[in-house]
Amino acid sequence: MTSMLAAELLKVRKRWMPYVLLLVMAAGAAVQIWLLGYVSWRESEVEFQQSALRAFALPWSLSALLDAGQFWGAILVGILTASTVATEHGWGTVRQALIRGQTRNQYLAIKLLGSALIAAVSLLLAFGIGVCLSVIATAVADRPISLDVAGGPSALDILLMILRAGYGILPYGLLAFCLATVGRSTTVGVAGILLFMFGEAILLGVLGGIGGVAADARAFSMGHNVSALLAANRIGLGDYNSMAPRPNPLTSDLPDPAVAALVLALYCLAFLAIAFVTFRRRDIRG
Amino acid sequence: MSSHDSDTVLRTVGLTKRYGRVLALADLDLEVRRGHVYGFLGPNGAGKTTTIALILGLLAPSGGHVELFGQDTRAHLSEALRRTGAVLEGPSFYPHLSGRDNLRVWGGLSGAVDGKRVDELLELVGLRDRGRDKVRAYSLGMQQRLGLAAALLHEPELLVLDEPTNGLDPAGMREVRELIRELGQIGKTVFVSSHLLGEVEQMCDHVGIVKEGRLLTHGAVSALLRRGEALEMRVTDPERAVQVLEGLPWVNGIRRQDDRLVVEAPRVRAAELSRALADHQVYLAELRPRDSSLEEFFLEVTGEGEPRD
Repeated sequence: MTSMLAAELLKVRKRWMPYVLLLVMAAGAAVQIWLLGYVSWRESEVEFQQSALRAFALPWSLSALLDAGQFWGAILVGILTASTVATEHGWGTVRQALIRGQTRNQYLAIKLLGSALIAAVSLLLAFGIGVCLSVIATAVADRPISLDVAGGPSALDILLMILRAGYGILPYGLLAFCLATVGRSTTVGVAGILLFMFGEAILLGVLGGIGGVAADARAFSMGHNVSALLAANRIGLGDYNSMAPRPNPLTSDLPDPAVAALVLALYCLAFLAIAFVTFRRRDIRG
Repeated sequence: MSSHDSDTVLRTVGLTKRYGRVLALADLDLEVRRGHVYGFLGPNGAGKTTTIALILGLLAPSGGHVELFGQDTRAHLSEALRRTGAVLEGPSFYPHLSGRDNLRVWGGLSGAVDGKRVDELLELVGLRDRGRDKVRAYSLGMQQRLGLAAALLHEPELLVLDEPTNGLDPAGMREVRELIRELGQIGKTVFVSSHLLGEVEQMCDHVGIVKEGRLLTHGAVSALLRRGEALEMRVTDPERAVQVLEGLPWVNGIRRQDDRLVVEAPRVRAAELSRALADHQVYLAELRPRDSSLEEFFLEVTGEGEPRD
């Protein structure tokens, strides 16, 4: 199993895609910290300065970075995963892999684990770069670099915040994995994840606007439950500028984070089951 | 439960594959024994690649099953494939990786294979100097050789090769033929499909001929060629000779080629044949055994004009 994972990591880390993912996420973090945060803070009217400050200054920047990182990270992880799965069909290497004694379950599990590891390392590096930029921006703004604010997080809280954001990426990554496995195509995986994310954001906005039962139906969607997880990452009561184009419902409208985590787990299981069952039953032709 | 015979490395039992209403393979029974180099011949669309994909578990059979090393692959595919190496039709590699890294990846999937083994195989297939180049820069022939190296990486007992000389130049083809022969000599079992009949005749000791998804005949190459034995002759009166020969029970067929007659009959009957003709005042001007090639045998069995795949 270890040698199979090493082989998978060798394949993926020699592709340009993980490095593009890292670069895009790091660039996004820089835009969030400096443009939406620091520059906006300096140029804003006094009443908007507080929310701009929360976008770049520690410790609030941690929430802001994780919020944007979840949204854009989900898209980029979806692209990476779909490409990793589907190119094996395009190159015909899936046949070569399956005739070497790997079971089909092992093949998919290793592929998933390899993609997850590469994505996790890239996203954590990008987050680290964002935190470094935030430290610099906080110092340039002559603000104290400290976690000790009202409702400020402990180290354990920060770990939990990272895990919540990562967990918010997982169902989208698995959706892309499922679509690419079933469709044997990167395009199906990537287009599917983009359509789903933007379509879902629009739908959730519409349902929230209608109110009543329609608004309650949002509790079954992935996006609404991811919002619930990320709302638990907020530090204090204030809001911040986010680069994530998604509805931002009131915390009182969102499900409990524990319930949200359960709903997302069901989505993850469904996507995994579809992918594994389809792949196990499929004829692999040249 | 499979009928275990330690000498039988590969066995298919009633192997059948349907694609909707199309029957790609019908009730195929094959047996390849340890140390044999088995040639799998057939015209285009005969079901050779389908058979190989079924053996390797890439396709699910519509009926029947495959046994590798005496074990039913429906339950033991993974274990069996760890003892098997294969080159599929059209080699597939990671184009962004070097030849060496591709072998490292395949080695990792087969269990840990060390760098020394990778170097040995690159040397064996003549790619040592190009091992660090990206595979996308390789010619088809180089990819084919890398495919062979990948198949041999984990020192398999059984090699399943689908058209292994495709894309190779004549020298490369000869090298691969010699390599396959050597593998047979050191006790490896090889199952090789090819449309090159001469190649199969030179490489293989056993052969199976398949057409339209059905196995037409199989057996040792030497025995099959003996079945096609013939005597070629020039006689004083060909018309009269044909009449005489048609009356002999061990003559399987007679055809005229220019001024000669080709008589399908065992070579050991040459003396009897000569006497029978002389008894009817037909005299031989020339008599010699005619070598039958696998190609002639193939054409006869399949009824094909030109064997292609």
